[in-house]
Amino acid sequence: MGALRAWLADPNPGSRRQARLGQWWLGWLRLRRNPLAMSGLLIVGALLLIAALAPWIAPHDPVTQDLSRRLLPPGTPGNWLGTDDFGRDILSRILYGARITLYIVSLVALTAPVLGLLMGTVAGYFGGWVDSVLMRITDIFLAFPRLILALALVAVLGPGIENAVLAIALTAWPPYARVARAETLTVRNSDYIAAVRLQGAGVARIIAGHVVPMCLPSVIIRVTLDMAGVILIAAGLGFLGLGVQPPMPEWGLMISSGRKYLFEQWWVSTMPGLAIFIVSLGFNLLGDGLRDVLDPKSAPK
Amino acid sequence: MSLIEVDNLSVTYSAKGRAVRAVQEVSLSVAHGESYGLVGESGSGKSTILRAICGLAPVSGGSIRIGGEEVPTPRGKRFASRVQMVFQDPYASLHPRHTIDSILSEPLAIHGMGDSDALVRRALSDVGLPANFRFRYPHQLSGGQRQRVAIARALMLAPPILLLDEPTSALDASVQAEVLNLLNRLRAERNLTFLMVSHDLAVIDHMCDRVLVMQHGRAVEELTRDALARAEMTTAYARSLFDASADRMLGAL
Repeated sequence: MGALRAWLADPNPGSRRQARLGQWWLGWLRLRRNPLAMSGLLIVGALLLIAALAPWIAPHDPVTQDLSRRLLPPGTPGNWLGTDDFGRDILSRILYGARITLYIVSLVALTAPVLGLLMGTVAGYFGGWVDSVLMRITDIFLAFPRLILALALVAVLGPGIENAVLAIALTAWPPYARVARAETLTVRNSDYIAAVRLQGAGVARIIAGHVVPMCLPSVIIRVTLDMAGVILIAAGLGFLGLGVQPPMPEWGLMISSGRKYLFEQWWVSTMPGLAIFIVSLGFNLLGDGLRDVLDPKSAPK
Repeated sequence: MSLIEVDNLSVTYSAKGRAVRAVQEVSLSVAHGESYGLVGESGSGKSTILRAICGLAPVSGGSIRIGGEEVPTPRGKRFASRVQMVFQDPYASLHPRHTIDSILSEPLAIHGMGDSDALVRRALSDVGLPANFRFRYPHQLSGGQRQRVAIARALMLAPPILLLDEPTSALDASVQAEVLNLLNRLRAERNLTFLMVSHDLAVIDHMCDRVLVMQHGRAVEELTRDALARAEMTTAYARSLFDASADRMLGAL
């Protein structure tokens, strides 16, 4: 272990592989020094773990109804977070819901920023009419209220998780495109881009290898900040009956189903709300830490 | 036959609807193995000529030939393997998020050349940088070291022609001399042809066989090194430039 650590921390790596792994190691050390980022990582890690282990750690089946035990308050033996209006165990539903939340969040996080980066960097790099066309398309998507556009898409494509994800991704990319384009405009006339162009590099290589790395940190920050919004939009779609369908244990759906009992049986909405809050917080903290790690300038000399 | 031939080159930028004529009908030719200087005050269009040769500035008239062939637009890979440029500001010309290793191996990857591991090692030692700099980032290097990396990058494809855009003006005096001597050594070793821009006649005197004095985007006068040393300039502008840096040139001689 000590030898591996010394090999990773070697300031004069002998090979590219060692240098790359050393960079990862340095990044991890930098992340570890940041207590807030570590708590974010802990929360996201816990979410992953819960999603993977849900069937084994959940005390009840998340969809089995027991009308004799409906709306029990938190602290009831056997139902530690209480039960909802069909007598389903809220803790079990939250644990299973982690899977759906993670699924939606990761699909959106993989698609929307990639699309946004592509549009933004291409528009910024080429400028001229390409820029005008791509950015006007972006403007059109931005001009629509996000939820309404997602609603329209789901209404056309039909309800379901995949369509909800698609609708969210299609409405989430324009801000990333804007951010990426702004960053691209600041770097496209720089000498290092001129230098690589002078080496005969193609456009795809310049954009992917030289422009995108400059845009990534700000886009990653936006992605992590948007994660809370994504969870809430998915919840909103579920609430309107256009996203995840009952009786699936989706957190947003759970909040909306507790709306009727908000004043007397507050826990029905509050527990999944707390889950969303904690996970959103985790993503935000992790995102802040990642920004520091991704910027080599913040590295110790 | 000259290696670089520029005939009646004009470069016109359009800025806010107005045409700015940065270079007007400048001609020059540089023989194989020669070192040719462009000198003038800022805004005289000397750097623009280099950028026009590289396809980074809009050519509005005239022609540019490398080895007797008209340069293609866009310049392409063949041009890249024959002409490379060292930029003025070493703080802006290296990608801040790439290691020295990836900066130097990028041209090899673009041109599909193998064995980049050994070539990068050799490139570093050729410009006098220690091998352990290889996996560092540009911000961990000093200005002089960065400029050495930029020179190494320009030489990765082994081009016969190097365009130097004030390669030392961003460096302090002692580092300046080191980098100039490095360039002279590389030119001698590899039989390179230099086209070098500077606002400093002392630097040009140290580096170049011939020099073209420019003012307001036009060529004023061409001088050989001997004519420069004997102060045999015919135009008043060239003389005023000479007078401004004569004492340092005599110091260098």
